[in-house]
Amino acid sequence: MVESEDFRDEELVEFCQRGQGQHFELLVHRYMQKAFHIAFGFTRDTESAKDLSQDAFLRAYTRIKQFDGRSSFYTWFYRILVNLCLDYARHHSKVAWESLDNLRDKPGAERQFADSRSQPEQEAIAGEASRKASETLEAMPNKQRTAFMLRNDQGLSIADIAKVMKTTEGTVRVYLHRAVAALRQSLVEFV
Amino acid sequence: MKHAMLLDNACKNYEEDLVLYYYGENNGAERRRVEQHLSTCHGCKSFVDDLNRVLPPMAEQQKMPQAFWDNYYRETVAKLEEQNERKNWWRTWLTPVRGWMVPAFGTVAGTVLVVGLLFGKGDLSSFVERPSRKVPQEIIADSNQLEFFRTMDMLESLDKLEQQDGTKSELQNTHSSRVRLYKGVA
Repeated sequence: MVESEDFRDEELVEFCQRGQGQHFELLVHRYMQKAFHIAFGFTRDTESAKDLSQDAFLRAYTRIKQFDGRSSFYTWFYRILVNLCLDYARHHSKVAWESLDNLRDKPGAERQFADSRSQPEQEAIAGEASRKASETLEAMPNKQRTAFMLRNDQGLSIADIAKVMKTTEGTVRVYLHRAVAALRQSLVEFV
Repeated sequence: MKHAMLLDNACKNYEEDLVLYYYGENNGAERRRVEQHLSTCHGCKSFVDDLNRVLPPMAEQQKMPQAFWDNYYRETVAKLEEQNERKNWWRTWLTPVRGWMVPAFGTVAGTVLVVGLLFGKGDLSSFVERPSRKVPQEIIADSNQLEFFRTMDMLESLDKLEQQDGTKSELQNTHSSRVRLYKGVA
């Protein structure tokens, strides 16, 4: 792996465009966790999320010469990834939405919806809240879910989400508003 | 625990702005306007409070062990290398053909051409493929058929000889009968 973490994304991309492909490994290292979590948001399956996000890296690497620097690398990369994820969602309309409750049970996974109550009660409520959250996310149109996950889970700005989703900022605001309102409606009883 | 039925509704014309406010997406003037409204509207304040409780837990991501990421990274790099190799297979194939080998191949090819021309006395026609003369299939005969045709020829010849012999003896007969007749008359 390339040692220096000091390079900016754009510099690393430039190296890759000049044929020094080994610098791409640093970009993989930098974005693999975010990429995996975005993919996981769509697939709810560790293996599929890993495959999808790795595919996105391979595609980005193949097309690195097409990157023209008009957007940041991560916006460009997220677009590739989100397109793959949307494609996946289209072909797997019945995504096995693992309950967030199951995630909570996995080592290190923390989803606490009701932490001020006693332990068993807290767990029961958190479990129910997770199930509701999963159901609500599952019922959402793909684009609403994408906008929500990119904003809420990944912290992308609305401007960046618009670039990733190739739509207007106004449309993203609408998607986000609808997604948030739906989640509030279904989850507020648990908090 | 709140009941869904008792959910405080935000003002419809503010709801989208409240979501943007929660995410810190409004600019200064918009933000001040929302804050001013929140100070007087219970429903909208309740909406923002709910978002503050509901959304942060959803942003918490599944924490994977370091071994998972190490393996993920290794796998991705291996896939990248594999893809690179597939993309550059022709370069690998041509790797032995380096610098000095190109003129060497050229020289050898030129020599072969010159030698070929000299020994071929400059006759390039030998390099040009002549169109093969097409013989109809029915004419092409195998050796048995040739033997048969030869036999037939021979039989025909014998017939002719016999015929000739027959004509001669006939003539001879005619001639002797004429002599006899002549002698008798005489």
